[in-house]
Amino acid sequence: MRIRHHPDDALMLAYAAGSLGAGHRLLLDVHLEGCAACRQRMAQLNALGGVMLDELPPAELSPHALERVLARIDAGPGSLADAPRTSTVVGEKPWLPVAWPAAMSGCEVGPWRWMGPGMYWNRVVVPDAPQAKVFMLRIGAGRMLPQHTHSQSELTQVLWGAFDDGRSEFRAGDFDETDGSVRHQPTVQPNGDCICLASVEGTLRFDGWLARLMGASIGM
Amino acid sequence: MSPDIPEHAPEPDLLNHLLVCVGSKSDRQAFAALFKHFAPRIKSYLMRSGSSESQAEEFAQEAMVNVWKKAAGFDPAEAAASTWIFAIARNLRIDHFRRLGNRMEQIASDPHEDALAGAEDPEPTPEEQLFGAQCERAVRSAMAALPPEQQLVLRLSFYEEHPHARIAAELGLPLGTVKSRVRLALNQLRRRLDGMQP
Ligand SMILES: [Zn+2]
Ligand SMILES: [Zn+2]
Repeated sequence: MRIRHHPDDALMLAYAAGSLGAGHRLLLDVHLEGCAACRQRMAQLNALGGVMLDELPPAELSPHALERVLARIDAGPGSLADAPRTSTVVGEKPWLPVAWPAAMSGCEVGPWRWMGPGMYWNRVVVPDAPQAKVFMLRIGAGRMLPQHTHSQSELTQVLWGAFDDGRSEFRAGDFDETDGSVRHQPTVQPNGDCICLASVEGTLRFDGWLARLMGASIGM
Repeated sequence: MSPDIPEHAPEPDLLNHLLVCVGSKSDRQAFAALFKHFAPRIKSYLMRSGSSESQAEEFAQEAMVNVWKKAAGFDPAEAAASTWIFAIARNLRIDHFRRLGNRMEQIASDPHEDALAGAEDPEPTPEEQLFGAQCERAVRSAMAALPPEQQLVLRLSFYEEHPHARIAAELGLPLGTVKSRVRLALNQLRRRLDGMQP
């Protein structure tokens, strides 16, 4: 699989710095899982974080900080931060033509719901972040999503098939980031369905009342 | 045998070695040396990221407890000690905001886990990739070669939830300019790193 569209540097850096919201973070996790090139880029940005930490002027610690830490270590487990990472699979997930990304294993994914002719969506609930607006779209061959723009930021990871929104073609493995400067109408290629994972911060702004109704039905 | 605790800032290779000693034989002297170097810097990082002094102290201590507990999983071939410990401190911060019901909720995976995730995409080949101490060294020297204002922009990018606003305030730049400055700095960094690929 040749990936042609990758997350941009600023987004990757925000991930490494820990300043991304949970939904956007999940989208990057899914992309990284399938993209060796971006895993390498992320390794560099994490190393940059390490160098940044290493070169910071030290702050003064309380006089008995080390003793306290050693005492906590001797007291054994019990730290909140120690909760195991989301390895449990939450409920049944709907069928996908590809394997579910491991990064989504802790997510709750609802059944496919009809949102228009040949168009289905479902809600993805990110662990511990129920307010994150993450959803999946399954759009039939040749179908067009309603034209829209974005109040803030929309991330899309293509899981299956391909679409073209006039800016470029996006295929399985590709990643896209759009904001208020982009007004687009993603159109699925004629040779098969397209399935995408999307995370929206802010809202989508649809053109036309029918599209707005459709947007409202998926909580946008 | 425990490694000596140096008075000056320890070399990255020594820090890696200390962390391996903590992981493989619960070496307290090695842990004390790591603590001495990293705990004050973690506190500094968290204070710059908006934590109060007492909260940063508490986080720094908790981060070091996590370093002890997770040290057995540290592999210097995958990430340098500073990279690995940075990820622990960062994840603690994300986790804290999650508990506060903020937007930054999900606990991130460690950088070495990212590196190990299934490799569906065949490129770049493993020989072209830089991980672990090699990656850290390359990033450190590429960073050092950047103009000071670009180094500053990158450093500030790590500090808080809204780094762009912080950078704008600190450098007296319009907010709109900051994003392009960050991109420019990352571009320069990448250019230098690409020149160093084996
Ligand atoms: Zn990529
Ligand atoms: Zn869009």
